[in-house]
Amino acid sequence: MRITLAIAFATIVAGISSSAMSRVEADSLVASGLRAYAAGDHAAAQVALDSVAHVFNSAALQFDLGNCWFKLGDVSRAILHYERGLLLQPGDADLLANLALANDQVKDRLASDGGPVLGATWARFRGGDDPDQWSRRALFASLLFFALLCAAMLIKGRTPRRASWILASGAFIALLICIGFASMRHDELIRSEHAIIMEPKVEVRSEPRTGTKVLFVLHKGTKVAVDQDAEGWTEVRLPSGIVGWMPTGSLERI
Amino acid sequence: MEPLKRSITSLAFALIVALGASAQEISFTAAVDRNTIAAGDQFRLTITLTNAQEPYSTPSMVGLVVMQGPHESSSVNIMNGRMSSSVSRIWILTATQPGKYTIGPARVKVAKGVIETDPITIEVTKGNAPPSDASAAQGQHKDPNLFITVTLSKSKAYVGEQILATYYLYNRYASVEDANFQPPKLTGFWTEEIDVGGTRWEERVVNGLAYRVGIIKQQLLIPQRSGKLRIEPMALTCLVNRSFFNRGTSVEASSNAAEFTATPLPAGAPANFNGAVGELQLQVLADRTKVKENEAIEVELRISGRSNLKLIDAPRIDFPSDLETYEPKSIDKINVSSAGMSGTRGFQYTVIPRNEGRFELDPITMSYFDLRSGSYKELRTEPLVIEVSPGDSGPSASISRPSRTDVVPLEHDIRYIHTGDLELRPTGHFLFGSWPWVAGMSAPGVAFLLFALVHRRRQRLLGDPEALRKLRAERTAKQRLREAESALQQGSSAQFHTALSKALHGYLADKFGLGVAEVTAADLRTRITDHEGSEELAESCARILATCDMARFAPVEDKPRKDMYDEAASLIQRLERDHRS
Repeated sequence: MRITLAIAFATIVAGISSSAMSRVEADSLVASGLRAYAAGDHAAAQVALDSVAHVFNSAALQFDLGNCWFKLGDVSRAILHYERGLLLQPGDADLLANLALANDQVKDRLASDGGPVLGATWARFRGGDDPDQWSRRALFASLLFFALLCAAMLIKGRTPRRASWILASGAFIALLICIGFASMRHDELIRSEHAIIMEPKVEVRSEPRTGTKVLFVLHKGTKVAVDQDAEGWTEVRLPSGIVGWMPTGSLERI
Repeated sequence: MEPLKRSITSLAFALIVALGASAQEISFTAAVDRNTIAAGDQFRLTITLTNAQEPYSTPSMVGLVVMQGPHESSSVNIMNGRMSSSVSRIWILTATQPGKYTIGPARVKVAKGVIETDPITIEVTKGNAPPSDASAAQGQHKDPNLFITVTLSKSKAYVGEQILATYYLYNRYASVEDANFQPPKLTGFWTEEIDVGGTRWEERVVNGLAYRVGIIKQQLLIPQRSGKLRIEPMALTCLVNRSFFNRGTSVEASSNAAEFTATPLPAGAPANFNGAVGELQLQVLADRTKVKENEAIEVELRISGRSNLKLIDAPRIDFPSDLETYEPKSIDKINVSSAGMSGTRGFQYTVIPRNEGRFELDPITMSYFDLRSGSYKELRTEPLVIEVSPGDSGPSASISRPSRTDVVPLEHDIRYIHTGDLELRPTGHFLFGSWPWVAGMSAPGVAFLLFALVHRRRQRLLGDPEALRKLRAERTAKQRLREAESALQQGSSAQFHTALSKALHGYLADKFGLGVAEVTAADLRTRITDHEGSEELAESCARILATCDMARFAPVEDKPRKDMYDEAASLIQRLERDHRS
């Protein structure tokens, strides 16, 4: 009860100054949320963590929020947060494990992308430890590349000079790769290309208008790719390639 | 030999009777072996006349049925030389209806007068066996000489309750054979045969007809489903009246049908109810509770009481996970009798602790339906604690352990939340594309370009000594000027002029790529020409050089030394500005 009150107060405070929530406030809210979760008060934990999630973000925060929703019985919200966490940290083992459990309760079965083992390893490589890791690697590679170039110009001996040229060209390739990955990750994080169905049952139509043909029916918790939006309607695509329109309010972007 | 012996005995007997009769007292008694019987049961009436041979009257036996008799027997006793004789008549009697019956006095007329026996009262209680039930009457109606009845101990019972079915064979023939009786197939019941031993025949009267009745079969029936259950009538072929002279006749005996209602157990059975109905106790026993690692323990779960024991499954036991357990072996000591099943049903588990420690087996619970109270009751054992001490680590401990087994997940749940630092970052804020990143990415490039420029220039200079000399001209000149300055302060005229001359001279030589001797006034004028006011500049240079040369040899000074120094310094500065590279 005390925890709940404290969180409610903190949430109000946070709501008032939500645009200017400091790191300290966020940390104390997170701490109270985690305490509530540990005490079994999942609803209070969810409220506290959610207020933080408006301003701050991390894979661990999304993971914890997903757990709150899972314990509260809302599987689709749990999936939404796990997917958001995976976007920030692709291939995270905990997120994948809990997402798999949550997905077991989803009615629709869709073809999944990528093998489970290679998929996770590749995703972990692609994702890095945090969203900025490839950018940091790019900075390092750039520094290394130019340092090696300088070295190649300064070194007198024939063989060491040759070696530093080779190393410099390697560093250049690494630099290009890092920039490529960083840009890809950035792109991935900026655009939300996927969404989770939030309604128990949604009819997906052939046109963005009620009364048109119902092409297929989707259920709560299913992950779909989003193609385009049009006046309250969204065009969704399934892994199998079939496409249809559904009301935007029935889904939530990852 | 034999006939002779018998005739001697007869003779002796006749003699004794004749001798002792008059001498002995006469008695006349009536006795029954019991005077309280159940209806349908038999009792024996014996009337004995001692020491007399007179005929006597039969007593009145109103309401009683004579099953056998009278049989007559006589005996002679010789005791201490006194002889007595007696004559007895025996009746086997029965009564079909409960009530009080009186056997009247019997009378005998002897020499002394008339002797009467005492009247005997027989009390007949209600029969416990089916004496003349409806089924017997029905069977008698079909065939009065041979029929079978089926009687159930109850006509209504719960599912799982035990009922006793008794098959009686009623017979009026002198003999009956082949009671190899197969009970009818029953559906909806679980049956358990009861060993009745050999058929014991007894006399019974149905509607005034005396029968020899035997129990040919008894079964325990346990209804397995609720509703009306029916035991179909059946037929049995018997061979009757078979004797030495007769091959016998085949007669078919048929039975009645019995109906039975099984009521379902009340709703709300506990989760640990396993179908037991009756009265039970539950206990858990272990052959020992202190063992070493890898030593087997026998843990027995024992269910005892009166119930449908054979139908009880083992209750669920949650052994601590570190104990290796095997499928239970059931040890039954169940006695099936007409009173139902009773005894114990045991489930013996072999348990092998693989690790040391203290293992507590939680109380085991089991529910049963108590017939007496008509409700479910729960049984609970005491918790069992097993102490496991470390095993011997000697060579004897190198017994091959059973192969390792996989960890089997029992349940699935989501992984627990991440606690501690969640590594929060402001939403939507990325390093990629931000200005610090762009700056950080381009800074090494820019630095490299600068470096490359400087480096290249330096390389070029290093390859051209003339240019290098030119480049270093100013620096050298400044050094020499400093020497001149120090000489100026010391006030040494010759030194000053030498230093100043050297500075300017050297500078000009370096700057224009000349040998020291080549620096002449004329030459200077030709070289310092390309700029505005350069003629004046060349003149000044020539003049200062000339003054210096002169001053070295003659102490004539047309200008203060300080002015000359300043002029030389400004000249070098101007030349440097005009002739950069």
